[in-house]
Amino acid sequence: MTEPLSFTLDGERQKGVRGDTVASALLRSGVTTFTRSIKYHRPRGPFCFAGSCGQCLLRVDGVPSLLACRVPLEEGMRCERQNGPLGMEADVLRASDFLFPKHLDHHHLLVGSQLLGRVALEIARRLAGLGRLPDETGAPERGTVAHAQVVVIGGGPAGIAAARAAASEGAQVLLVERGRRLGGSALLEIDPEAPGPEWVARETERLGGVEVALEAEALGVYPNDSAEDGQARDKTDAPALIAIRRRQSLLALIADRVVVAAGGVSQPLPFPGVDRPGVYAARGLLELARTTGVRVGSRLCVVGEGIELLRCARALRTAGYALARVVDASGSWPFASGSDTPEPAPDLPFLRARNLRARGRPVRELRAESERIACDAVAVALPPAPLHELASAAGAQTHFSRELNGFAVSVDASGRTTVPWIFAAGRVAGSSGAAGPQSGSAAGTAAARSREKR
Amino acid sequence: MIADKAIVCACEDVTVADLDEAVARGFGDIESMKRYTGLGTGPCQGKSCLASAVRYCADRADLPPEARVPFRARPPLSPTTISAFAGLPESIVRHRESPLQPQAARPGPHPLQPREPLPAHASVVIIGGGIMGLALAWNLASRGERNVIVFERGYLCEGASGRNGGGVRAQWSTPTLVELAKESIDFMARFAQELGINVWLRRGGYLFLAEDEPTLRRLEAGAQLHKKLGLATRIIDVGEACGIVPELDGKGFIAASWNPEDGVVFPWPFLWGYADGARKLGARIETFTRVTGLDVEGGAVRAVETDRGKVRADRVVLACGAWSPSLASMAGVTLPNVPYRHEIVSSEPLKPFLGPLVSMLGSGLYFSQSMRGEIVGGMGDPEEPPGLNQTSSLRFLARYSRALSTLVPRTSAVKLLRQWAGCYDLTPDHSPIIGETPGVSGLLQMSGFVGHGFMMAPAVARRMAEWMGGAKDEIFERFNLSRFAEGRLEKETFIIG
Repeated sequence: MTEPLSFTLDGERQKGVRGDTVASALLRSGVTTFTRSIKYHRPRGPFCFAGSCGQCLLRVDGVPSLLACRVPLEEGMRCERQNGPLGMEADVLRASDFLFPKHLDHHHLLVGSQLLGRVALEIARRLAGLGRLPDETGAPERGTVAHAQVVVIGGGPAGIAAARAAASEGAQVLLVERGRRLGGSALLEIDPEAPGPEWVARETERLGGVEVALEAEALGVYPNDSAEDGQARDKTDAPALIAIRRRQSLLALIADRVVVAAGGVSQPLPFPGVDRPGVYAARGLLELARTTGVRVGSRLCVVGEGIELLRCARALRTAGYALARVVDASGSWPFASGSDTPEPAPDLPFLRARNLRARGRPVRELRAESERIACDAVAVALPPAPLHELASAAGAQTHFSRELNGFAVSVDASGRTTVPWIFAAGRVAGSSGAAGPQSGSAAGTAAARSREKR
Repeated sequence: MIADKAIVCACEDVTVADLDEAVARGFGDIESMKRYTGLGTGPCQGKSCLASAVRYCADRADLPPEARVPFRARPPLSPTTISAFAGLPESIVRHRESPLQPQAARPGPHPLQPREPLPAHASVVIIGGGIMGLALAWNLASRGERNVIVFERGYLCEGASGRNGGGVRAQWSTPTLVELAKESIDFMARFAQELGINVWLRRGGYLFLAEDEPTLRRLEAGAQLHKKLGLATRIIDVGEACGIVPELDGKGFIAASWNPEDGVVFPWPFLWGYADGARKLGARIETFTRVTGLDVEGGAVRAVETDRGKVRADRVVLACGAWSPSLASMAGVTLPNVPYRHEIVSSEPLKPFLGPLVSMLGSGLYFSQSMRGEIVGGMGDPEEPPGLNQTSSLRFLARYSRALSTLVPRTSAVKLLRQWAGCYDLTPDHSPIIGETPGVSGLLQMSGFVGHGFMMAPAVARRMAEWMGGAKDEIFERFNLSRFAEGRLEKETFIIG
């Protein structure tokens, strides 16, 4: 049933299966070091499995720095690891990691001497950068223009609800989802109180009239300054211009209203070793298991905060992992926790610790205070930071929330932001989990209605 | 073995120790922390580190709740190829009038405004904490003028000085600008020794490409002037240009002007270095402080009003770039400067392949490779309407991507990481306005540097400080505001964009 595929990594033959991403295929083969980091040449591997973190960049078929977790594996692909000029395993430039054990202060390096400064400049220049220039030249990827009255960005529970609500108000709606199917975080089954896959299946059925674009990623929301206007039939001055990537080309979407419901982004917890191969985002591991069936070993340490920690730990257990320890790091460096003290969790091997350290490559041990916990990998479970960027870059106000572990777009009860044509819902607007669909409905309704009033 | 670093930003290898250092040096607000440490400037553009950084700032740097704002999100949301932007349909690239309104000023004082009281009096008040104002403050302080205060409404680097592409060149069409640029570049080469921070001047040269005969003739006239002034500029053919940058498509131009001694710097530390140097000599640099009025009495400027109170001043220097006209109007002075948005974009970090800054004088395309490996470039836009607009557009990405991937076809699969914009401060003759203000004694002008004030600042500020100390210097007559009324313009034609 699964079609085997073969590809190469640094010239060596590897095997994967149809449906793999490059990242999942490599993990399947036991490869955990994907690249060397830009400054200290520290080994790095994938973290978020959602195309947001930038830790899994590989050169694929002559194109530098592609997100391995987003590239579908194809037969015969040539993958190369970057920034390890003398070999990925024995990269001597990792010496910089030890020469500057705390950090390298490039601003004040060798400022005393013009000559040494010039030497430093030449060395720094040669070491800079990640990938080499692409091998091939290429023609522009022909893009298209489309129009919609209401565009909903993000096909999770909030986005689905927003699209449905806007359509039921009579608006022409386009629902844009980055993944291969609708559902977003609901498909991970983390939160028992929030909508799950059945909810998604049921509500997707009811999306009649909504146009759905899958594998379509919103890159930017701009005020519409193009010569394109609104749809001919109502001649509106459509205020929104949204850049959307579909495979290699762009769709420029002209719209009256935008509802941003793009969810959140997995965050690392900055303890020593968090960047090592073998430390993954908990939600990322769930996504990896769901979409490819790949597991990164059998015994996990799960580290994080609050209710997200407990829920992710249980979901990972359901996904087939054994839990070595579930470590609540609330209040650990560098910041006070924003999460509530977790509910009692007698079903979990629970531990509180403030001082953490991950060891090994890939990580095989987590040190939590004095305890040394052997494991195959570490999963980090913090609340995903709301993806405020699309709305805030266009001028929408945000507010910081420790509970949300980031910036949420500020909205009123109907999901209006401070920009009249941008609405926000779900985690982006601070309504995560069970509150998602309702915030989506409110925003979708308000977006459609505000358009009619024009 | 792997050292026990606590990494906050994996893209740029920023550690907790880096954040500690930034806070200790006064970069505790989130925009400055980003610039000082590099946090959030890698392939993920801060999606995975912003939350940690703000939690850190809140707890360790006492960042007040109102100041817990994200660093400005810069499209695209994820790395996207130049070929994708280049393929955007014509109707997106075609221009309609900009629908943007200038953003309303935040009401009330900035949450990060310093609490210390301002002095009642300063010998010199400099309005604008960009490269001009800060370089002047340091030069004045170095010459013994310690009672200097600089007002900056935001963080250092918030204006055009923190938004430019970092190109520095001596190739100009007027002798004065050549001279100012030469001195400035020499100073940049020893900036680290003078001011204790690296600006990473990399002299990879400037390669001006001529796409047609009229442009070539301009370049030739420039090269002749440069030869007279002792510059190494020479006109080279397409083959030689392609030898310097092998990735260029030689079909896109007919000849080039080449100066191997020009280069690029990293703009931000320039401001920090001058600010720090000035502070150490007793000058005050007051960030997050807005100037709200200028008191003029009996034909002379007497005081500067700010949202932290009034400071009496013997002399006031207007060094606010594109914002200078609005400040000048507070003293009843009309400046002819007009602000124009210029957009820039940075690519993913690539291994070094591009030595010089390359520019097409005709189309206004320019690009260079930064010390971090990014291709940083922009492109002038003849249809850009005037206005103080610092927002980004999709149209720019499309125009730039088309032009760059046509000239350097191997960039088509390179990904763009972030775009931003700054304001040119354009004068009618593309030359600066410096010196006394007719009718308002004590009010000194230091603006109108179009898009190249950054690379002239060291020399302009030195000469201005000496002139303010009593030295004679003809440039403060020649580039005086009065020239526009008198009709004697100083036309500079080597303007990109």
